[in-house]
Amino acid sequence: MVMRDVKMAYASDRGAYSDYARVFGVIGLVTLLGWFLPLSYLALGYLYLLAVIALSTGVTRWPALAGAVLSSLAWNFFYVPPRLSFSGLHFDESLLLVTYFVVALIGSQLTALRYAADRARLLAESERMHQTLLDSVAHELKTPISVFRTAVEQLGTGDPERRVRLLSELGIAVQRLDTMVGNLLNQTRLESGVLRPRLDWCDARDLVSAAKKSVGRRLEEHPVSVEIPGDFPIILADAVLMEQSIAHLLLNAAVHTPASTPIRVSAAVGANKKYVALTVADDGPGVPEELRVRLFEKFSRGLRAKAGGLGLGLSIVRGFMSAQGGDVGVESPAGSGARFTLSLPFHPLDDDPHG
Amino acid sequence: MTPMADHRPSILLVDDEAQLRRLLCFSLDEAGFEVREAESGRIALGEIALKVPDLVILDLGLPDIPGTEMLRALRQLSSVPVLILSVLGDEATKIASLEAGADDYLTKPFGGGELVARLRALLRRSQPLGSGATKFKFGPIEVDLDRSRVLRDGRPVRLTPLEFKLLRMMVLHRDRVLTHQHILGELWGPKATTKTNYLRIYMMNLRRKLGEEIDSAGHFQTESGVGYRFVSDPMVGV
Repeated sequence: MVMRDVKMAYASDRGAYSDYARVFGVIGLVTLLGWFLPLSYLALGYLYLLAVIALSTGVTRWPALAGAVLSSLAWNFFYVPPRLSFSGLHFDESLLLVTYFVVALIGSQLTALRYAADRARLLAESERMHQTLLDSVAHELKTPISVFRTAVEQLGTGDPERRVRLLSELGIAVQRLDTMVGNLLNQTRLESGVLRPRLDWCDARDLVSAAKKSVGRRLEEHPVSVEIPGDFPIILADAVLMEQSIAHLLLNAAVHTPASTPIRVSAAVGANKKYVALTVADDGPGVPEELRVRLFEKFSRGLRAKAGGLGLGLSIVRGFMSAQGGDVGVESPAGSGARFTLSLPFHPLDDDPHG
Repeated sequence: MTPMADHRPSILLVDDEAQLRRLLCFSLDEAGFEVREAESGRIALGEIALKVPDLVILDLGLPDIPGTEMLRALRQLSSVPVLILSVLGDEATKIASLEAGADDYLTKPFGGGELVARLRALLRRSQPLGSGATKFKFGPIEVDLDRSRVLRDGRPVRLTPLEFKLLRMMVLHRDRVLTHQHILGELWGPKATTKTNYLRIYMMNLRRKLGEEIDSAGHFQTESGVGYRFVSDPMVGV
């Protein structure tokens, strides 16, 4: 949709082939209609005028003028008596033809102005997007750097107890910077299309424990339970992408719920064995309806985003999941926390390792 | 080559980032290693030809020689254990390097403690295989390789021959990463190196029989997209 807007906004005076095609189509249609309608040739002349007006509101100058030329020729040839030949015109007939050209010029001029306005609006929009991105990247990068600076300045002087506290602040800043750089790289990878998932058989238990390990101490304040049934099959997925997706969901649950809120990870095979699902659920405040629509878009941040961040996490999860042919979804029934579900197509294991 | 108790193991640190080298030298020296530095592949190869260190830490992104080529050149000179430094999201390169002769890898950014633990594990491994030890004890699990017996909490565990072969391989290569391809090739033959599904199922069963909880930091650790690592002491890490 946006792409189409951009294309329209950037259409030059010369117009696209599709504009000329439209002009030919409309004038041809009017000519055909005129043949069967019981109208006088003058009335038909005005019908052509209507067509030129209609066309000039949607195309740029040259296609609009082409429409005017085409209308004059068609009207003169087919309808101005004697029919099926070009005839000399009276003054009022010529005036009508002149009107075609004037209308085409004025109409297309207005269209060009509208396109220019669209273009300006799009530019402003993209500039605003860039500015927002730049602002938040700058903020997110500078916060940990300020922490480094302050801590480094004070490390040499403070008493040991203070030093321990400074070190823990440094640790948090490092983790934050690491997460953010990772997210930016992943988002860039997704957008540039260089992400090639390597699908291989994975054990869901492995994926979950690797994800837990990578989230590490940030899960400390939350009891995490993992319920994966003993007969849950091994799944075809990219282990690294899955691990990171689960880690994003775990981290989100940890950040967006009060301390000691339990987090539950579970796995299930979907109805009809069409898909497998991994779910990360919490008993936190849930995701409000109005946020759910934009939740997986980039730069969309939670209302209670106390930990800052660029709002890339869930957009990366969606990108990672669709790269593997799967998806991510959220349910958040009022008053019962949030449930994020990663789903992947189910591939039955047809190969017997004992063979 | 076996480091003696009173001997500081020597390390050749190959990385083109001067600051990283300074910091690593600092923590490696603290941890009791003798460190030599090299800022490029060429210098590193020269250093190794001059005197083979006990360990090499090799950054894969050197400006002069590509990582896998560097490993091959290094392997022609010596069989010294090599730990490579790599970046996240590049599992294919990690696997390629492990196959080209690297012994382990760490993903940047890593912590100094993690690095030292990995290096110690590599040093242990470069000594003759536990002086031929065939009996091992890991927490509640006892493995007797000679008699093909496994005990869990003193009670025997029934393993299939392939499960035992897998366990034996992991134990003998403990604290080191084993790629999927490598395990598959050893257990099912060279044609099966892409059949990761076999491995997953066997690993699943083995873990279950040995009572490995998925939640806890167990002995069998997964290296996403690369392989497995049997950790002899999960509390310490590798």
